[in-house]
Amino acid sequence: MLFSEQIWDTFVGDDDPPYEVLPPGTPNASLDTLVEKARAMFPGQIITNVSPMDDEPAVLLSMAPSWQVLEEDKKYPDRNSSHWIKFDARTAKVLEQSRPANAPPEPRTWTGLIMGTCTRLHMNLFAGLPGALFMGAMGGVFVVSLISGTVLYGRFMKRLPFGAVRRDRASRLTWLDLHNLLGVATLVWALVVGFTGLVNELQRPLFGLWRVTDVRQILKPYAHLPVPPQDHLASVQAAFETARKAAPGNEVTGLSFPGASFGSPVHYVLWTRGATPLRARLFTPVLVDARTGALTGAYPMPWYLRFLEVSRPLHFGDYGGMPLRILWALLDCVVIGVLVSGVVLWAGKRKIATDARLRALGYALDEGEVSPVSALAKGAS
Amino acid sequence: MKITPPPEGAFSAVSDARGRLQIAVWRWPIALGALTVFGLFSALLGQEGFWLVLSWISLSIPFIVTVVCLLQAWCVPSVKGGRS
Repeated sequence: MLFSEQIWDTFVGDDDPPYEVLPPGTPNASLDTLVEKARAMFPGQIITNVSPMDDEPAVLLSMAPSWQVLEEDKKYPDRNSSHWIKFDARTAKVLEQSRPANAPPEPRTWTGLIMGTCTRLHMNLFAGLPGALFMGAMGGVFVVSLISGTVLYGRFMKRLPFGAVRRDRASRLTWLDLHNLLGVATLVWALVVGFTGLVNELQRPLFGLWRVTDVRQILKPYAHLPVPPQDHLASVQAAFETARKAAPGNEVTGLSFPGASFGSPVHYVLWTRGATPLRARLFTPVLVDARTGALTGAYPMPWYLRFLEVSRPLHFGDYGGMPLRILWALLDCVVIGVLVSGVVLWAGKRKIATDARLRALGYALDEGEVSPVSALAKGAS
Repeated sequence: MKITPPPEGAFSAVSDARGRLQIAVWRWPIALGALTVFGLFSALLGQEGFWLVLSWISLSIPFIVTVVCLLQAWCVPSVKGGRS
């Protein structure tokens, strides 16, 4: 997952034709032009989203037969009535379209299969929200185990210099020293990745919380209104300008038409995000009344979602170029070493050993405090 | 790069006093932890060439230290570990 971009590029590649070369500074076409073109291509259908792409001069327009059909899609996992058109943002030419729903599905590549399996295993064990919460709980257990390991580290290392791995004694001591060395060297990294992973798994409940609290409050006055037909709505381009002014310093990354399941029946919802690297994942939705084009308001995310979004990159390790990814992979390997040595120690613990043997090895046991230390160091043979 | 353990006295001086925090044991872990935190956040907050390079350097130190310790244990026969 860490190298997924590179894996896709290497094994699947991108066979899109290159973009037209235009003189620098060529202005973008009005988004209204794109909207009209899309409507002309699919008369009678609705537009659901307008999303300028951030790394290419292109705009994606998503369409569907109607909001109701989209809602019904949720009952059928194999049905997807929405489709998209990709426009060149500058010339308003159609670049690409999604495959029609009745076309034979694209052959699955091995890369797609493997990457999909890995991602879903890692996120939720193929079990949706319960799986995600279970993985979150595992993240919590991981963090707790790191803390308890740190407590034990202090006791084990009393008489050892940092990084010593004793190889001239019982093999169990070698494993123990290895566990301590690898664990303490990567302790902070593992804590950060573990904790931010736990936070990531809570994203659906946290976004849900926002929707039933703040978002519901904001949308309450409009909830009962009917969705107006799309041919009488205010200008999309103007809504982008309005949102840009309403959230200064942010860039607008997309617009949802009124009627979307999470939004309002009468508003364009514009997603804006911070332009600086740290704020790039902090989204501020802006509501623009689609009947009049007037600004209704900008609504920064609550603190818990801000925290979630800022902590995301710290889990993924994808924010500092290729060297950071490689370091992430190396530290991953070290943490796997901690796990393996931990399992070896845990398996060995069950072999019977006495505290006397422990004392013979030189561990001073405090009076009346035998459990944690002896439990780990037992059976050092 | 060679990890030299602190002088023997540094350990006995504090380990005798039970219940007190043993600074000597935690010197390396704290240093490596601080480097990790610095590395993680300098790339996140800076995201420019200079801060990225600092991040790569500081995050690679815990890994390099680990490798050096392992090499010392496995490739240098004279190392006998501590005084356990």
